[in-house]
Amino acid sequence: MDVRKTWNRLRRELDLMTGTQTLLSVFILIFFLITPLFLMVEEAFVYKGEVSLKWFFDIIGDAEFVSFKSKGGRLFEVHRNIMYIWGLDHGILLNTLLVAVVVTVSCCVIGVAVALIMARYKFRGKEVFRVLLLIPLLATPFVNAYVIGKLFKPTGGLINLILFDILHLLPWRIDIDGLFGIALAQTLSYYPIVYLNVFATLMNIDPSLEEQAENLGSKGFRLFRSITLPLSLPGLAAGAIIVFIFSMEDLGAPIGFLGARANPLSRKVVSYQIYSSFAEALAGGISPRTYALAVIMLILSVIGFVIVKQFVSLKSYAMLSRGGRWSPRARKPPFKYGCVIYIFLVTLIIAASMPQIGTVLLATTNWATSGTLPTEFTTKYLSSLATNPDVTRAIVNSLMYSSAAIMIMILVGASIAYVVARRDIPGRSLLDVFATVPVAVPGIALAVGYFLFFSRNFRGTFLDPLTDPALLLIFAYSVRRLPFTSRAIFAGLQQIDVSLEEASLNIGAKRSTTFLRIVLPMIVSNIVGGGILSFVYSMSEVSTSSTLGALREDRMPITFFISQIVYGVAAVGAVSIGAALCVLLMSIQILAMVISNLILKQRVAFLGV
Amino acid sequence: MVKVELKEITKRFGEVLAADNITLEISNGEFFTFLGPSGCGKTTTLRIIAGLEFPDSGKLFFNDDDVTNLPTYKRNTGMVFQNYALWPHMSVFNNVAYGLKIRKISKEEAKERVQKVLNLVNLAGLENRYPSQLSGGQQQRVALARALVIEPKVLLLDEPLSNLDAKLRLRMREEIKDLQKRLKITTIYVTHDQEEAMVISDRIAIQNKGKILQVGTPTEIYNRPQSLFVATFIGGGSLLEGIADKAGEKIQVKIDNINIQGVLSSDEQRIKEGDKVAVVLRPENFVLEKPKSASNQLRGIVEWTAFVGSRTDVRININERRLIIHAPPDVDVPVGKEVTFYISQEDTIVLPMEEVS
Repeated sequence: MDVRKTWNRLRRELDLMTGTQTLLSVFILIFFLITPLFLMVEEAFVYKGEVSLKWFFDIIGDAEFVSFKSKGGRLFEVHRNIMYIWGLDHGILLNTLLVAVVVTVSCCVIGVAVALIMARYKFRGKEVFRVLLLIPLLATPFVNAYVIGKLFKPTGGLINLILFDILHLLPWRIDIDGLFGIALAQTLSYYPIVYLNVFATLMNIDPSLEEQAENLGSKGFRLFRSITLPLSLPGLAAGAIIVFIFSMEDLGAPIGFLGARANPLSRKVVSYQIYSSFAEALAGGISPRTYALAVIMLILSVIGFVIVKQFVSLKSYAMLSRGGRWSPRARKPPFKYGCVIYIFLVTLIIAASMPQIGTVLLATTNWATSGTLPTEFTTKYLSSLATNPDVTRAIVNSLMYSSAAIMIMILVGASIAYVVARRDIPGRSLLDVFATVPVAVPGIALAVGYFLFFSRNFRGTFLDPLTDPALLLIFAYSVRRLPFTSRAIFAGLQQIDVSLEEASLNIGAKRSTTFLRIVLPMIVSNIVGGGILSFVYSMSEVSTSSTLGALREDRMPITFFISQIVYGVAAVGAVSIGAALCVLLMSIQILAMVISNLILKQRVAFLGV
Repeated sequence: MVKVELKEITKRFGEVLAADNITLEISNGEFFTFLGPSGCGKTTTLRIIAGLEFPDSGKLFFNDDDVTNLPTYKRNTGMVFQNYALWPHMSVFNNVAYGLKIRKISKEEAKERVQKVLNLVNLAGLENRYPSQLSGGQQQRVALARALVIEPKVLLLDEPLSNLDAKLRLRMREEIKDLQKRLKITTIYVTHDQEEAMVISDRIAIQNKGKILQVGTPTEIYNRPQSLFVATFIGGGSLLEGIADKAGEKIQVKIDNINIQGVLSSDEQRIKEGDKVAVVLRPENFVLEKPKSASNQLRGIVEWTAFVGSRTDVRININERRLIIHAPPDVDVPVGKEVTFYISQEDTIVLPMEEVS
């Protein structure tokens, strides 16, 4: 009886369209996400044909990876009038975790402060600040860290020139490099993620909740600690876990610092280790130790992500009680606070925009070779985007990969969103989970999984990364950025009352007709919005691009090319060409934002859980 | 045109029974209404008929054809949704013509039919407007036109008037009734508004907690409620609880020291002597002068009066039990005065006591 009922329901729900949509999505997710990762995990737990934790013990037991005693590095040490701030080397794995924790905490502190200021105060020029605060989100992979490394050189670095030589504010020159440098570069580029998430939560808190607390006599820090902060925790947690994941898997900062300063301490992070093992892959293969490293990273990310997602859905109660007049509380700060706010924001914006400003300078002047300050403008780097065949090839490659990837993303994203939002088939919540979880999958872990799965089982075919990584890059982009597309489309579907579709079905249209004529026209702006966003992210994708992309020279995407330039494989001064490519990426991103804002009348979705 | 038959239809949402073993038949051309409080399952029942939900068990027939598992797009029903569900990206014309396009009707014929149906619902001239440019009443008419243009077997209306203001609601319900009579289309209507149901329907089914409690014409349901739920849900009135004293053709009920004679609402009900019963007394059935027919006489003290224009409402206290009666507007009954009043035994309905839910 029950079996027949389920069968009947399935037959009704799984019409041709739903069936195709489900099958397609399941196929892509299994083939390009689950199986590669699963194989990698399996491989990491096998030694000599038996299940074993050997590779993990290997890592934990090796002082190269885990060392509770510092093995080197300098932290706030002064030698010959230079204060060295590099960070201490506790082994690759601990270093990575330490950097990630430091970056997460600093991003949270800065992000919450900025969000509170922007959400609760009115002041002159707020709109300008709102835009400027988002500058760090402009992608300048590798070059951003290079710029910071260059600015903080003890001799010839602009910061030391200003703060030590000219203003005499510092008793010594400072040298920021290594792990601390990586943490600084990451904090400056990731704090907007926390800021935007917390800001969104703050704007959603029912003002009467705070008013009620004030009415009962709470104010100032007490009000913040007892009401505002707990209510904005969901946004904070969401932002924090993303920053944590990003920091762990980031390749841009280590390579950027290596390019600028060549300090070996910058190599002592997991992401760099995995990256460099891809160089060996061409010669032999990847060691199981690398799998184990990637698995550790994967597990930390996914568990953190799942916990936070659970937490966020449990704690989203503040948005329940809506009613009455809804105007978020914002007031003019007293003069004293106003000054503090301006000083804080201006300092932050200058610091956080350094990489982007520096990138533009590198691309448009001779700064790469001129020393502390640029001496003349030049257009030769920007024009090389069109003239240098290697550069144009990388651009064309990336454009092709990203265009193909958004097609797949839209097809799969729309399918998953529709099935999850509208159809009642068993396992649809699982589908939802797998469409969201790529946010938490470190790109380099996915790259390792792809390498293992496809080079082993599809040797010599177009799916073998050693033969041609292009197709795998396309699918890596698609899977990694899928959550953005599917979520944008899902949000659109939620805006549409189901009865609009039911009316069409009732009048005699099949589900596919209904989807094409009723649903699609109404979510087209969400699809375009999600697509644009995913396109931008695909163009500037770093981790799979600079690992899988390294496997065949004529298939390299922009970001791998930049990493090569910054790392110093190419000639001195060539970093400016990398900067020019970053300028191109930033322009695409700005264009996308403008299109989203002006034409589609929607804000670019940001990174959240 | 079609006869709709539900046979032992049951539908559960988790623990909630939305349709509890419903069996009933809706005749060809009938205006049939499901009436009940919100959450009683009436909309689910309608959606099962439309094919938007599927029953856990039971069968549904259109003219003896089993349509239980037929998807909605093959049923040819015309549904008007509570929120109208007009497609915002299509003009009025395209909204209405959609069903015809699906049916591959030629452009000329479609145009003609849309024009005709728009005339029918008084919307001629608004073809090129978009839903957002229409008033609530106009949107309602578009939804109606869209459902009617495909010449459905059954017209299904899910609380279509609940989003309109009071005045428009009155006018639209007359229009709908009028239209249905002209088209002679089997129509199934869902509402929680008992007055609306009484005015518009040929027959009404009262539904509560998924169960159909009573099916009948508005008069039957009003005058002969078969359960306490129906008696209290339909129409105003006072309930007096008592004990059946003598059971025969008429039931004698003892309420404290008062004896009242009343009738049962249906032949199926059985009441024995000594049973707990409730007496339903409609306020408009009371009179202040002794009528010729057999009647009950009651005495009590006037506690409160309110002049409502067409009548005066009087609350009377009989040994701490309170009754509302409708008296003529010019009645002279000062508060505190003792009055005698009467109600015909035929209008005194005796129901077995049950747990009032």
